[in-house]
Amino acid sequence: MTADQIREYLEPRRHEFADPRSLVLPALKFAQTGRGYLTREDMEAVAEATGYSASYVESVATFYDRVYTEPVGTRVVSVCVSMSCQLRGADQVWEALCDKEGVDHHHGGTSADGRITVQEAQCLGYCDRAACIQVDAEETQGPHTPDSARALVDELRAAPDPDEYWR
Amino acid sequence: MADYARVDLDAENQVTFELNGRQVSAPAGTMLVDACYAHGVEVPIFCYEPRIGPPVGACRMCLVEVEGMRGLQTACSTPVRPDMVVRTDSPAAKDGQEGVLEILLMNHPLDCPVCDKGGECPLQDRSFKFGGGKSRFFEGKRHFPKPLELSSRIALDQERCISCFRCVRFSQEVAQDGQLTMQERGVQSQITTFSGDAYEDRFTGNIIDVCPVGALTSIPYRFVARPWDITNTPSVCGLCPVGCNTELTLRDGDVKRVTGRPDPNYEVEEGWLCDVGRWGFDGDGGITRLTRAIVRDANGERHTDLTDAVAAATVALRGASKPVGVLLGATATVEEAAIALELAGGALAGARVARLGIPAAPLAALRATPRAQLDEIERADLVAVVGGDPGLAQPITELRMRKAVLRNGARLVTIGSRPGTLADVATHVHAAPGALTAAVAELAAQIGATGRPVVLWDEAELAAEPAAAEALAEAVSANGATRQIELGADVNGAGLRALGIPATGLLEALEAGELGALLTVRADPRSAPGRVAWEAALEGDVPVVALATHADRTTDAATVVIPVQSLLEQEGTLVSMTGRAQRVRRGAEGPAGAAPGWEVLIALGHHLGAPPAYRTASAALAAAGGRYAGIEGLTYDAMGVGGVELPRPAADHLAADAGPARAAGSDGLALVATRDVYGGREASRAPALAAFHAPAAATVSPATAAALDVTDADTVTLTSPYGAASLPVRIVDGLSDDAVFVTLGTADAAAEALMPPDRGPVRVGVSVEARR
Ligand code: SF4
Ligand code: SF4
Ligand code: FES
Ligand code: FES
Repeated sequence: MTADQIREYLEPRRHEFADPRSLVLPALKFAQTGRGYLTREDMEAVAEATGYSASYVESVATFYDRVYTEPVGTRVVSVCVSMSCQLRGADQVWEALCDKEGVDHHHGGTSADGRITVQEAQCLGYCDRAACIQVDAEETQGPHTPDSARALVDELRAAPDPDEYWR
Repeated sequence: MADYARVDLDAENQVTFELNGRQVSAPAGTMLVDACYAHGVEVPIFCYEPRIGPPVGACRMCLVEVEGMRGLQTACSTPVRPDMVVRTDSPAAKDGQEGVLEILLMNHPLDCPVCDKGGECPLQDRSFKFGGGKSRFFEGKRHFPKPLELSSRIALDQERCISCFRCVRFSQEVAQDGQLTMQERGVQSQITTFSGDAYEDRFTGNIIDVCPVGALTSIPYRFVARPWDITNTPSVCGLCPVGCNTELTLRDGDVKRVTGRPDPNYEVEEGWLCDVGRWGFDGDGGITRLTRAIVRDANGERHTDLTDAVAAATVALRGASKPVGVLLGATATVEEAAIALELAGGALAGARVARLGIPAAPLAALRATPRAQLDEIERADLVAVVGGDPGLAQPITELRMRKAVLRNGARLVTIGSRPGTLADVATHVHAAPGALTAAVAELAAQIGATGRPVVLWDEAELAAEPAAAEALAEAVSANGATRQIELGADVNGAGLRALGIPATGLLEALEAGELGALLTVRADPRSAPGRVAWEAALEGDVPVVALATHADRTTDAATVVIPVQSLLEQEGTLVSMTGRAQRVRRGAEGPAGAAPGWEVLIALGHHLGAPPAYRTASAALAAAGGRYAGIEGLTYDAMGVGGVELPRPAADHLAADAGPARAAGSDGLALVATRDVYGGREASRAPALAAFHAPAAATVSPATAAALDVTDADTVTLTSPYGAASLPVRIVDGLSDDAVFVTLGTADAAAEALMPPDRGPVRVGVSVEARR
């Protein structure tokens, strides 16, 4: 993503942010729509477009779970592991997905074929539909069981790649 | 302590409040931590560091109880208010402080026995003093690789970091290099740079001093000493004319570390050091260090001891049928210069004494105008830099100027042939070499319209343009509020001038065959500006007695070489560019074959049959203080640990110290001899500063490169009326066109070869020597 593209994206949104520093996050989320994660060059482009130093931009990027500075899967599946979801079997959903994608129970991670990343999320505000899952930045869905979650990733794996990686 | 801000208990608008049952006062706006400290009550802190910036409340260590306010308050970010009732030692406050320490230590490795900070660690000290001595945390602690290399000079032990943000704020807000940040969050938080690049910049070492734990340590000092092995001596940096106050860490007779003063000199460095000042000591004892005296005579060259060398020097100096010349280098101390003058009046009667430096006459009027110390920059609304590139030549001044802009909203204007290191915060007004006068006239108008201007001016560049110096002197004195700060060229130039020592006359006398011998004191004329002329003048059979710390072109050819102690090893006084007389103290013992310069000069007086009436450096200074108006009354006691400001020189001081009038001419390109302590001889000796080592170059603007048809793969020969030099080409944006920039003080002394001894304006011809 180039600095010009980022500027063009930010321009109509600038007025929404009282503190110009707040622009860094939307800029990062936009910059990662190209690949699904940020390269060094992407962060430098964000720095140029927002006027903050590259190191500051990277510190914001690494602060947030949904901004990635390492390659991740084509689709990112976030499993809520907070209280309500846990009471409704989130652990089983989580472990089922980790086992299915061959990643470790402690950290989650990306499947060997690079298609799916499984990660934990804190309360997604869908407690009434616990245990819930969010795919990329799409609307959260639930309630899920281990079986329905496995079916969900099968579907995602078969689906065509998204045009833009909003996460 | 640098940790707390200074509080003026006598200032107006004092606010009275109750502190632990006592009625006390502090000026309105004072933060509670500072007010408490001023009244002898220590409130523990970690993140607060008033020199870095306003409080951020990151660590929560400074919790105190304030009656009527809900919960505990952070004393670092709570200003005093009338009649507030503060308790720093109540059960609630103590419980808060113990709790914070317990949390800070939760993930801390507590590896004090193998930690370089152990014994001088604020976390350790405050845990003992304010902690509860217990932990309820039994889970595994976080782990990081140990140590991580933040740069070639700084090690990071991330496990020890308590996320106080001091280092990050130093980088972002003081040095403003934009490099350090905290990445990730929670237990994963980590100090790092963009993509983990090395943190290489010019002021990086200060983060070691401000880190309140052992997370940031100096690689050259790693595992070198424990606090109980060392003694600390306050001294002064002798690597540039700013004269930053330093602290030397000594062990086994050697300097192992240089740090900022725990009790900063706010009028000078404010506790900060540049990386050259911090790590330059590392090269002091390198392979070029002179450790034994050398005598060269008809029988060849022999190494000998000091007594024999002083005897040989006596023969060489006394044998001269004509008067002797005494040449003082930029780092010769006030004591050494004063003793040399005394010899010239007695034992070596008739001797001509001069310094290697810039003639004083063109700048006399400007120097007589109202002067300021560096702290005045903070109070200015307009800061103007006329000539030079202070960030490289007088580094610490850059931090003050950045502070003035970022924290106080001052306007910063740089005027000259290159934007320099302040380009990101300054408005640069371009003035080609030789065209400063017009730019100064424009500046004068701005000064007139400003309330509190401070003008920093470059000694070398204004001496080369006397008309600009005159105009600036007028502009400064026209507005009663304006203050000027000289950006000096020579470490102790001001000290030597205060004794009335000129920069001119000696070489001319030597060239005219009027001198019978030359005594050099920390001076290497064969590497100095005008070195071609010096070499020619020394061609004949004039014996040279050289007092020097390191081998150089002069000692390589001298009749007698007497090794002297460096400014880390002997007593002495240096006068900074702002006229502060400050004490250099004996730190290291130095090589067995070297003696203090002042002692060698006193010994020469004894051998020559006219012994001075004193035997110590302090007595030599006291005697000089009674004789020379420029340093009247100066003694070691008067200087104390922070130094004293000497009176400004009168407008006619050294009025005759001028080189011949030189028209700059218009053939060829203007030569700009730049000064860069990071690229200088001292820095290049220090292994710890390897990241700065770069070859000398002929630096030009892209347009000039195009006009000359050269690229940065070429080598060019520069030729001036005074000499020639071959240098690789470097191309840099933003420089004056039709000019060549060459750094002074590099090992090959290329710029010096192109210049006349008085340094006046020079133009050079350029021919392409080799294309790669
Ligand atoms: S490394 Fe030191 S100065 Fe930097 S945040 Fe950690 S504890 Fe503070
Ligand atoms: S700015 Fe000058 S005096 Fe200060 S530490 Fe650096 S070299 Fe030494
Ligand atoms: S706990 Fe999972 S959505 Fe609230
Ligand atoms: S010192 Fe007050 S919060 Fe850190």
